[in-house]
Amino acid sequence: MTEEEKLVMGPKPGVNYPLEVIYCGNCSMPLEYCEYYPEYEKCKAWLEKNLPSEFEKLKVNDTTSEGAGDEEKKRQKRGGKGIMKTKKKEEGPKQVCISRAPRGKKKSVTVVTGLSSFGIDLKVAAKFFGQKFACGSSVTGDDEIVIQGDVKDDLFDIIPEKWPEIDDDLIEDLGDQKR
Amino acid sequence: MFKKFDEKESISGILQLKSSVQKGIRNKLIEQYPHLEGYIDNILPKKDAIRIVKCHDHVEIVVNSTGNLLFFRQREGPWMPTLKLLHKYPFFLPMEQVDKGAIKFVLSGANIMCPGLTSPGARMTEAPKGAIVAIMAEGKQHALAIGLTSLSTEEIAKVNKGVGIENVHYLNDGLWQMKPVK
Ligand SMILES: [Zn+2]
Repeated sequence: MTEEEKLVMGPKPGVNYPLEVIYCGNCSMPLEYCEYYPEYEKCKAWLEKNLPSEFEKLKVNDTTSEGAGDEEKKRQKRGGKGIMKTKKKEEGPKQVCISRAPRGKKKSVTVVTGLSSFGIDLKVAAKFFGQKFACGSSVTGDDEIVIQGDVKDDLFDIIPEKWPEIDDDLIEDLGDQKR
Repeated sequence: MFKKFDEKESISGILQLKSSVQKGIRNKLIEQYPHLEGYIDNILPKKDAIRIVKCHDHVEIVVNSTGNLLFFRQREGPWMPTLKLLHKYPFFLPMEQVDKGAIKFVLSGANIMCPGLTSPGARMTEAPKGAIVAIMAEGKQHALAIGLTSLSTEEIAKVNKGVGIENVHYLNDGLWQMKPVK
């Protein structure tokens, strides 16, 4: 596509819409904008791991656009900072924490936090646990699910099975907690 | 508009729309964006339950039954597409291209200055003042922002200083980061 054709309105003949744009798993932008992200290195690492073919293309482009830097210098200086902020969300490392808390004298509940740091829908997860253990399970906070009963040990198997991106190393056992 | 937007704090309520209201929005969109006519049934299927997410600062966002954010507006203004929607159907807004050097400023939320639209790497398509436009970039394929022209493109070329297009929504702002609404 030439630069001129790019800006013409209307659907392009022979193209099926909706288009599927690939977004970066690190910065969430279309891959072509990763280079502007403050943590470009993390984007590249993500790309290398998840989309090796795109990563190869990037390497090719990197060498061909080497001259762009000089061109940039010739251009007028602009005011302002022009620094992109990284996402706020990235506060803590991604981790799931599981603990047991007493409920009444004999019973206990299991508290799971951190699932949403993996982008998991808590309502769906709560329902899944409820069905799996045939017990009550509900979303109780910003990133907290409470499951009725002591199912802590089972969770170490079930969570990585259901969500392969959560390795069991990423699940922390907080033991018994008072509520 | 969404620089300080936060999905946890900025949402005040979610409204289920009556089918008559949905129809009104569909018609408005086709009227505003004629190129959408053949695609509106894919974007807003007639039988889909459309919702409106009400947010602070009089912002409203149209959401489909799967929770995807489609269009937004402020103070009953014209509906504007989210970038995620525009990326899927990238042909229904006039496109204004900034030069390479302006990209990082646009991505930090700055308004688009006239010189960034008139330099050699930039390119404009004609638009009046107050038009909703897609901000494209030199050497890039996808839109990086949605803007509202502060001047007509003719004036931008003539005046060539100050703000040319107001940056309304850009990659990685609060709206971009907002997750599908359940
Ligand atoms: Zn990236």
